Amino acid sequence: MDPFIAIILAVFLPFILAGILPAVERLVKDKIGWYASGVAFLSLLLVAVAAPEVIRGGAVQSSVQWIPSMGLNLSFYIDGLSIMFGIIVSGIGVIIMSYSNGYMSTKEDLSRYYRQLLLFMGSMLGMVFSANVIQLFIFWELTSITSFMLIGYWRNRSLSVYGATKSLIVTAGGGIFMLTGFLLLNIITGTFDIGTILQDPSIITTIKGHDLFLPALVLILIGAAAKSAQGPFYIWLPNAMEAPTPVSAFLHSATMVKAGIYLIARVHPIFSGTDAWLVLVGGLGIITMVAAGFLAFRQTDIKGLLAYSTISQLGYMMAMYGYTTYQYPGIGVASATFHLLNHATFKACLFLVAGIVAHETATRDIRKMGGLRKELPFTFIIGSIAALSMAGIPPLNGFLSKEMFYESSLEIGQLLGGPFAILIPAAAVLGGVFTFAYSIKFIDGIFLGKRRNDELPKHIHEPSMIMLIPPGFLALLVIIIGLFPSAAVTYMIEPATSGILLEKANVYVSLWHGFNAALVMTIVTFIAGIAIYTRYDAIAAWQDSFNARHTKISINYVYDSIVDGAKGKSSSFAAFMQPGPIKPYLVSLLVLFIVLGTIPLILVGGLMIPPGLAFDINIYELILLCLIVVSAVGAAVMGKYIYAVLAVSAMGYLVSLVFINLKAPDLAMTQILVETLFTIIFLLVIVKVPQTFKEHLTRSVLVKDLLISSAVFVTVLVLLLNAFQGITSPFESISYYFIENSVPLAKGHNMVNVILVDFRGIDTLGEIVVICLAGLGVYNLIKSRSDSK
Amino acid sequence: MNPTMLSITIALLFGIGTFMILRRDMIKVAIGITVLSHATHMLIVTSGAFLGGKVPIITSDHESGSGIIFMDDIAAGVFAPIVPEGTEMIYSDPLVQALTLTAIVISLATTAVLLILAYRVYQEHGTTDLNEIRRLKG
Repeated sequence: MDPFIAIILAVFLPFILAGILPAVERLVKDKIGWYASGVAFLSLLLVAVAAPEVIRGGAVQSSVQWIPSMGLNLSFYIDGLSIMFGIIVSGIGVIIMSYSNGYMSTKEDLSRYYRQLLLFMGSMLGMVFSANVIQLFIFWELTSITSFMLIGYWRNRSLSVYGATKSLIVTAGGGIFMLTGFLLLNIITGTFDIGTILQDPSIITTIKGHDLFLPALVLILIGAAAKSAQGPFYIWLPNAMEAPTPVSAFLHSATMVKAGIYLIARVHPIFSGTDAWLVLVGGLGIITMVAAGFLAFRQTDIKGLLAYSTISQLGYMMAMYGYTTYQYPGIGVASATFHLLNHATFKACLFLVAGIVAHETATRDIRKMGGLRKELPFTFIIGSIAALSMAGIPPLNGFLSKEMFYESSLEIGQLLGGPFAILIPAAAVLGGVFTFAYSIKFIDGIFLGKRRNDELPKHIHEPSMIMLIPPGFLALLVIIIGLFPSAAVTYMIEPATSGILLEKANVYVSLWHGFNAALVMTIVTFIAGIAIYTRYDAIAAWQDSFNARHTKISINYVYDSIVDGAKGKSSSFAAFMQPGPIKPYLVSLLVLFIVLGTIPLILVGGLMIPPGLAFDINIYELILLCLIVVSAVGAAVMGKYIYAVLAVSAMGYLVSLVFINLKAPDLAMTQILVETLFTIIFLLVIVKVPQTFKEHLTRSVLVKDLLISSAVFVTVLVLLLNAFQGITSPFESISYYFIENSVPLAKGHNMVNVILVDFRGIDTLGEIVVICLAGLGVYNLIKSRSDSK
Repeated sequence: MNPTMLSITIALLFGIGTFMILRRDMIKVAIGITVLSHATHMLIVTSGAFLGGKVPIITSDHESGSGIIFMDDIAAGVFAPIVPEGTEMIYSDPLVQALTLTAIVISLATTAVLLILAYRVYQEHGTTDLNEIRRLKG
């Protein structure tokens, strides 16, 4: 199959099949999870079908026209990097959705759960294969939205809602920054197409020399950091742990949080090799890695611990992609890519294990656990393999990528020279030490030692195979990649690295690579890690007491005060802008009209009342106009509805006489018919609405309203008097056309009729539609009675 | 009809209509809106009526050039007035009349909806006082 078609299917099939999911659910009932994992498997196959050609021949790009006028196409860029992400997303998707069959109770709203998972998977696949940045942005925000819905899956838990809102504000907000960055990139290059930029070295040179280089980089980096929970944006990820555990494993460890890393890798060729890239990306990664690793200590929630660990591990990748100098722009790329794959395997596995533990013990508090190895032996083995891999113990895959991380840290340190030769490797080791400590805590706290108290259920037992096989499979992968890295490296890491570096990359990974500096660093990590682990609880206690003493030194505090402040401000603004009764709105509109109507006249120095007005009028017309005014005044001052209605309908009939006088016979006829109908409707309503309410006009209200009405009167009068003096129009009147062509084109002598039914026939159709809608509206209003009556 | 006197009438109707839509009683507001729409219709028709203009119905065979004749030359920056001097305006403007005809019908539709709304509000809440309705929830 053509790789392009395979990828289009892989991206859009989840969307389509998620659409028919409710129908399928009616057929298969509780087994719907297997349908969803089948869909994920289909996507995995399709991505795999596209893979060989890309691995052999490099990037493939094709497009379908979308909005050609804006230079936007639906286009997919398929290279080693996107294939690797595609495999991870759909592969982990299969595992997660199979596991969910055991995890999610059949009482849950399974249809919604799997539909959103599939939508997320489709968006994520669409994101990684997008060839133009606008398309990428759309899929990017779709992943944010589906993540929002999945975190808030339990809608009636306030913590879920809080976590969901927070993740949406941070990640989707970051997406807006990213879009702005893309637009700047478009200003520089004139294209939205990633492939075009990547395949033309001259464009990349232009970008690097451009004034907008730094703003574009910073904006895109904010988007990536928000998505991947880096730097100050980490705050949403711990709260996202309120999602069902399979969701956390899928979105918030293996795939969605890696979208930011993906973006960094994708724009790597465009921005890397500069100081700004090194400082911003590398610096952000190192700081996040160390800080989040440290903050993990005080987590008592096992998922919270894993969340901080995820942030820290993403910091590793960010740091490695940031390692760059002018001569060697891609020092850490291969190791970062390898770590990305390894992290997806061991972290998803850890989350699934945490899910099993929480499922069986009905708590996520690590302080209540301990000694679970007896009850959950298989879970213990699987969890230990994954945690040890995260700690970097050989021969597991985490060890390999951590070695490479140390090597590249040493390399960049030496290239930069000076204090960096010590600082960067030291920071790397520090990150490794923290990782080691909390990984051991995960095993020790849950499975080893003794039960701290007996709050746990009496009978804890292994879950069904449905829940054991998925993490077991991942643990197997952890071992296989660790022992035999060459297959993964040849078929995934090398093509992905080539995709990032835009040249054929040769990556060499082996379990034993001699006794070198990196190995020394690993040994140092283990020793320091064990040393720190003995003080683990003391450090956690110190962190807790620090937090209790300084509640304001916290990014969450800043976030909460901004969000709460915004809520308060907007509600007071709404209260100010929308006081309630209609009158204030009307008054402000009328005052605006008065001001806008009179100010220009005063400004141009025109006379309010033009000179030379003619008042000559024959007596019939004068009587007619007086009668109109009298009936209008009558409608206004008469209290009883019936008299007011009769007065206003008398006025309507008088207006039809005016129309006759103004040489408009059609209007006069229409007016008489409409007025009759109007009077009937009015009287019918008044029969049903007895006059119970009588507005008592206080003096101040009366004066104020009379003042406004008089001002409106004066404004309209001045405008009209000036208008009838003859204002010249800058444009030719189009009426001439109708007068000229009424007979020749439409064969009609009554021009008004011809315009209505012929020249402007569609307008009349619109008018009829309005009448129909009004009729339907009236009908429904009358039919819709509240249940209480 | 004398445009000055018509202007005064229309402006007075606008003033009266404004006073009425500022009332608290929904039925009175509906009447006020009717007054305002009458005023607006008259205003639009008046803008197309010229002294001595004929009813816009072509009685005899069509005479070419019987309409409004323009001498504009936009390229040269000369804009022709609606009624150039020396041109006799034979017909009242048919276009504004067609527009107004549509407007009259539409205003019937909107007023009908408004009235039925007032009726339903009265049925549900037992009042037509807009301030009172504001305080009700649900």
